[in-house]
Amino acid sequence: MIQLFNVCKAYLGGQNALSDVTLKVEKGEFVYLTGPSGAGKSTLLKLLYCAERPTRGQILVNGRNITRYGSARIPYLRRNLGIIFQDFKLLKRRTIFENVAFPLEIKGCKRFEISKKVYQALKNVGLEHRLNHHPLQLSGGEQQRVAVARALVVDPLILLADEPTGNLDPEVTLDIMELFKNANARGTTIIMATHDRGLIRQFPRRIVSLDAGSLALDDLPLFKGTADTAMVGQV
Amino acid sequence: MILRTGYFLKRALRNMRQSPVLSLASVGTVALALALLAFFAIAVLNVQQLTSSWNENLAIVAYLDDVPEEKVVKGWIKDVESYPEVDKVTFVSRKEAFARFAKRLGDDADLIEGLGEDVLPASLEITLADDWHSESALTDVVERLRNDHRFEDLQYGQGWLEKLEAFLLLLRVSGSALGGFLVFAALVIVANTIKLTLYARQDELEAMAMVGGTSLFIKLPYLIEGALQGLLGGATALLLSFLVFQVILQKSLGSLLLITGIDTIHFLPPIWQAMLVVGGGLIGLLGSLFALRKFVRFGSS
Repeated sequence: MIQLFNVCKAYLGGQNALSDVTLKVEKGEFVYLTGPSGAGKSTLLKLLYCAERPTRGQILVNGRNITRYGSARIPYLRRNLGIIFQDFKLLKRRTIFENVAFPLEIKGCKRFEISKKVYQALKNVGLEHRLNHHPLQLSGGEQQRVAVARALVVDPLILLADEPTGNLDPEVTLDIMELFKNANARGTTIIMATHDRGLIRQFPRRIVSLDAGSLALDDLPLFKGTADTAMVGQV
Repeated sequence: MILRTGYFLKRALRNMRQSPVLSLASVGTVALALALLAFFAIAVLNVQQLTSSWNENLAIVAYLDDVPEEKVVKGWIKDVESYPEVDKVTFVSRKEAFARFAKRLGDDADLIEGLGEDVLPASLEITLADDWHSESALTDVVERLRNDHRFEDLQYGQGWLEKLEAFLLLLRVSGSALGGFLVFAALVIVANTIKLTLYARQDELEAMAMVGGTSLFIKLPYLIEGALQGLLGGATALLLSFLVFQVILQKSLGSLLLITGIDTIHFLPPIWQAMLVVGGGLIGLLGSLFALRKFVRFGSS
């Protein structure tokens, strides 16, 4: 589903955000992307939805080399992705309903279909009673849940989540993780950047750890509580 | 597609409602620029109509200091009418000349109250035939009349026709230049006003692009918004120029202009009115197109 070959990303000034990262994520996998701040987690996710371009290397998503995608093709790639941004990227002038409806409107869904799906998605994150509110009327945690609803409403092939539970209390975090698990069970490939070790222990999945832009660890747990540790580069 | 058009229109209207001050600024800018253009067009149009009516009434007036007997005058008229270039010769008595002048003064006729009716000279008005409406024919006839010693005091708009033509050309050229400048200025201002609204919504545009909105999908409501603002601006300009035309040009300046020989002052013809409104829409559309050019980015390189 996702393949990275020797991907490097250097920003202006020469600092390497990612160095020679090679990684393969199978269809339907659930991968945690971990590492300290500045390790390159967000950069890696940005490369996957083409908000950044690699300085070197190739990236394949669903068999297509997205490294060479022009700006006309990028929107169509993103329509198959559910993206949860660290800063939520909600449309502040639109209601919660309109925010969640937006990816469906882009896809050209019928109005009744949009209403049904949006209501269900908001119900899943426990915000169906806030659908006429605007993002700024919501708490940080609630905005986070709206972002989750917007990402999942399209039944994405791939879910890219950048610290999706960072602002949530433990109870809501568990609810969101349940939603992710359900989406994953329906076939959605999930890459989730997180710092939360407790969460990883509670919902053990493959862990890809970055350190200073390099792949430090690729951990494949077979059973809850145990894990097989693969060496770097063994993907 | 119809559903989508409705969607984009709804979004455009909602955008305008959400930023009423900036929307009003755009509409006002287009309205002011186009209203100026409309005033100028009204002026050019009326001067053109006036001069063309002058051209149509190309005539020579032979003033008669001493009016001979009616029989003699008839003989003179017959003589002049025999010229091939001449269509008609009319005798205007002193009394008639005075009545015409009083009529032309309209409400201000009381200015000449008390003057004797014989204060103006009698004259022969010599009108040229349609085929002979030219400067050279006019000069030929005047030359022949001068050689005939019965007519000495001749008025035929010496040289001013040429000057008028030159003035009209200047008016048209400067009108086009000023119009072009005004339209360009409106375009730049509208583009910048729309850019301001876009700066305020930059996060929103980015968010739309990040969740899969195509450039067109994101831009279209803003383009429609610009066009709507332009159309509103054009309509406001039309209304404004019509009000100014009604209140100032027709009522206040009307009697003054009548003295120059203009019977009625004309407003812009319907096709020009439509062009003003549609032109406003185009200015708005182009303005937002320029403003949006570099706004929707899908990511850094």
